[in-house]
Amino acid sequence: MRADPIALGGWQRRERTLTIAVVGIFALVLLRLFVLQVLEGSRYRELSEENRIRVEVLTAPRGEIRDRKGRLLADCVPSFTVTLDPFDKAYSRAPARMDSTLRALGPILDADPADLRDKIQRERKISFLPIRLKRNVDIKTVAFVSEHRDQLPGVQVESEPLRRYPLGLMGSHLLGYVGEISDKELADPAYGDYLSGDLIGRMGVERRYEKQLRGVDGKRFVEVNALGRKGDFLGEKHPVLPQRGTDLTLTIDLDLQRAAENAFEPGARGAVVAIDPRNGEVLALVSKPNYDPNEFSTGITQDRWSELSSGGNYPLFNRAIQAVYPPGSTLKPFSALAALEAGAITAGTYFAQACTGEYRFGSRLFGCWKPEGHGSLALHDAIVRSCDVYFYQLGLRIGMERLSDYMDKLRLSEKTGIDLPQERRGLFPDPAWYDKHFGPGRWSKGLVLNLVIGQGECGLTPVKLAQLAAFMANGGTLWRPHLIRSVGSELPSPSITPDDSMKQVVTVAPRNLEIIRSAMESVVSDPTGTGGQSRVDSVSVAGKTGTAQNPHGKPHALFICFAPVESPRIAIAVLVENAGHGSTAAAPIARKVLEGFFHPAPPESAAVLSGR
Amino acid sequence: MLSARFSPDIDRPLLLATLLLTLIGIAFVFSATSMPSASVEHGLYLKQIAYLFLAMLAGALIAAVPYRVYEGKTSYLLYGIGLALLVLTLFIGHVGLGAQRWLGWGPIKIQPSELAKVATVILLASQLADRKKDWTQIKNLVGPVLTAAVPCLLVLKQPDLGTSIAFLAILFTMLYWAGLPFLYLFFMITPIVNVALSFFTPGWLLFLGLLALILYRSRIRLLPLLLVVGVNLIVGIATPQIWNHLQPYQKQRISTFLDPGADAYGAGYQIIQSKIAIGSGQVFGKGFLHGTQKALAFLPEQHTDFIYSVVGEETGFLGAGFVACLYLLLILRGIKVANRARNRFGGLLAIGMTSIFLYHVLVNIWMTVGLAPVTGLPLPLLSYGGSSLVASFLQVGLIQNVAMRWREY
Repeated sequence: MRADPIALGGWQRRERTLTIAVVGIFALVLLRLFVLQVLEGSRYRELSEENRIRVEVLTAPRGEIRDRKGRLLADCVPSFTVTLDPFDKAYSRAPARMDSTLRALGPILDADPADLRDKIQRERKISFLPIRLKRNVDIKTVAFVSEHRDQLPGVQVESEPLRRYPLGLMGSHLLGYVGEISDKELADPAYGDYLSGDLIGRMGVERRYEKQLRGVDGKRFVEVNALGRKGDFLGEKHPVLPQRGTDLTLTIDLDLQRAAENAFEPGARGAVVAIDPRNGEVLALVSKPNYDPNEFSTGITQDRWSELSSGGNYPLFNRAIQAVYPPGSTLKPFSALAALEAGAITAGTYFAQACTGEYRFGSRLFGCWKPEGHGSLALHDAIVRSCDVYFYQLGLRIGMERLSDYMDKLRLSEKTGIDLPQERRGLFPDPAWYDKHFGPGRWSKGLVLNLVIGQGECGLTPVKLAQLAAFMANGGTLWRPHLIRSVGSELPSPSITPDDSMKQVVTVAPRNLEIIRSAMESVVSDPTGTGGQSRVDSVSVAGKTGTAQNPHGKPHALFICFAPVESPRIAIAVLVENAGHGSTAAAPIARKVLEGFFHPAPPESAAVLSGR
Repeated sequence: MLSARFSPDIDRPLLLATLLLTLIGIAFVFSATSMPSASVEHGLYLKQIAYLFLAMLAGALIAAVPYRVYEGKTSYLLYGIGLALLVLTLFIGHVGLGAQRWLGWGPIKIQPSELAKVATVILLASQLADRKKDWTQIKNLVGPVLTAAVPCLLVLKQPDLGTSIAFLAILFTMLYWAGLPFLYLFFMITPIVNVALSFFTPGWLLFLGLLALILYRSRIRLLPLLLVVGVNLIVGIATPQIWNHLQPYQKQRISTFLDPGADAYGAGYQIIQSKIAIGSGQVFGKGFLHGTQKALAFLPEQHTDFIYSVVGEETGFLGAGFVACLYLLLILRGIKVANRARNRFGGLLAIGMTSIFLYHVLVNIWMTVGLAPVTGLPLPLLSYGGSSLVASFLQVGLIQNVAMRWREY
């Protein structure tokens, strides 16, 4: 098969074929035009003059969120949303008509017509869809819109699922909330399948598991005329039904969460994180003050938002994972473990200087929290009574290099990797850090005295502290804290075993571990211990108090603990901002959480199950 | 040399069709952007007039230089420039409607893919003009296929599926004109058909049977036969396997890519509105500037990709049919010029330029009447846009160039 010989006229056969093909293609176009314009023209003319075809989005309900025992934390309920179609014929004929519509709607929607107008101007550029003016309107508004339909062209009431958090303030920081997607996100291709006005998870589980919770919206084409809906637009694709989002079951125990939330005094600021030291499951996560995520579901005003995000005590701020505090004396068990593991001390080590309430290093005096002093102590008592002078000398013995090396093993300067957005990482500085920030040689070796007692430049989040408490409880495993017990409808299995990728094991000599643990147990049980206020009936608790100095007012109170000592099932970190001593302000909160865990009150959960 | 522009051999119907379409285009860009609620600039038609002068100048210049100059080394140079611009677009291009299609330099913004199409046709014509080669030999086809594939893939990366397919449409038309048997072209597209059908087993089996029958009857050489069979088998078996191993988000990306309308509320809606606009024009139209659908500003691309629906609404079946006939005239004259040229390069050049028009007109008009998916291809000469207009005039200029010198060997 040779190619055709190409000479003058040699293309003629090809020309004929191609010409016929092209004429055929155009004939098809003309035929199509004939059908559309001549045969079906009057129908389309009618559609263009009187009615309007529009897309109606069928919003998918978000997946439900439940606690580990199946109790409802977030669900969806039907609600009404008032929408306006800016492309309604009435407005393209007379744009000024929009103003009268908005003036009529303003009072009943409790909104400024100018604000509504801005919203419409902004959103009509992004999609052809009707614009949501107000979510979750009451039945009075629905009636008003229906009655005044002729004066409100393009205004409709649509049914939409509304995100509801039946427990209100409970667990707000771990759940997060939903809000309308921002213009900035809309411009990002990563959010390509979102439309203006869509709800998206913000913070917490709602944000982190947005993909699973969201579901897939459906749509249908409807024909709308001046009298309202005429029905589905026939001849087009069938409606696409929405697919509900996936349900999530959390590791949270609602009883424990409630106990932890109620443990705080009204108005207090702080955080509690409770973890199962055997697998890293988060049992409770509290940040105070909290907020009601329901407020966001219906759209929140700018003023209210500023109030929540910055005003007062920053209620939106998740102190459990976003706030970094000096750990204070809660770090001492870990400093002591570092020294034992490095071989710098033994359990029987006494230091040269007994505690007189202060310690002189160079020209500086470092005080002990107890001005009258603790006298001469070995390690056990130094932890039980939280003697600073003992730890200053321990710090000097081990040195900053070895101390920071060990803290590195515990990943103090890293995030825990909890499955919540916006976690901050803590810091335990090493010599290189000081060289970088203070200049080489421009910092004193005496800084280790601060670091070893959890002061100075070091800082940790409450969730990191809880992870460390769990580490001490389980004897050397750093679990990545996590909140999801199961995804989808399958029942939570009683013995869920997270895979190895969620843990990092640090080898610790059992003897050293035992020394620290027994000291931490005495912190709570010994009459001289600082953690006596966390004692719980018939359960052996091991803990450590902390009081973190801070330049802005009273010190922060801290407490970490785990229980029962023999086979720990819970590890807790408590932080109360500007509340004073850990022993008096933080340990009692831990006690209430422990009581909630070991001696739960007969549950009122029947009321919880039935919702608000 | 310039006197050649006024040679009697200039193709007058082609020139007439071009100018009429351009003027109609300016009128409807004016109409589409004239309503008070328009979300686009009102003065766009003035810009389009300015582009027209630039385009006519470019068209006249490219027509004045005897086309043989563009053959050989020059074609590689032009092609190289085209590719360089495409690569540059990927790195520093402007993002418009989710894809990097524009290259900006101060106030000037160009769409390099429009110019790359013209350059690719010139190089393909130059390569395929070689008579000494047997174009049924697979090894000889490697060059032209690569020539089209490279810009095709670069544009695909932007991503602009419609334009990247244009390169393939051009390649196939030119290979056909160069003398490649129709059967060969059929074999070349079998793997693509295969991918599409591999998810539908009965269709796939039917297709394989058909292919086997054609292969048996065609008595082609062993090597090409094995190649066709091998590629088809591999593609058919591998596609579902690969698909099953993709992550859900990757699948999502691919289906969105293939059918942008699938998950966008906009596209399906646009087609409906476009059909209503065209249909409501009925026989005589609503009158120039009296369209109502366009006034809804429902189509952000009413003055570019959807200008034909404004034409259909305001001038009815008569107007829309007239415009379609003008395009038909333009394309048939292009084929005529290609056929008359004695020089093989000239003929291929003319058919290649004509194929660009054919593909764009086809895809765009079919889209507006609801026969093809929304792809974002402009309607040549009618749609607003400088790059497209200049490229169109370069294409017409080159066809006229061949028409004027049809006697030359």
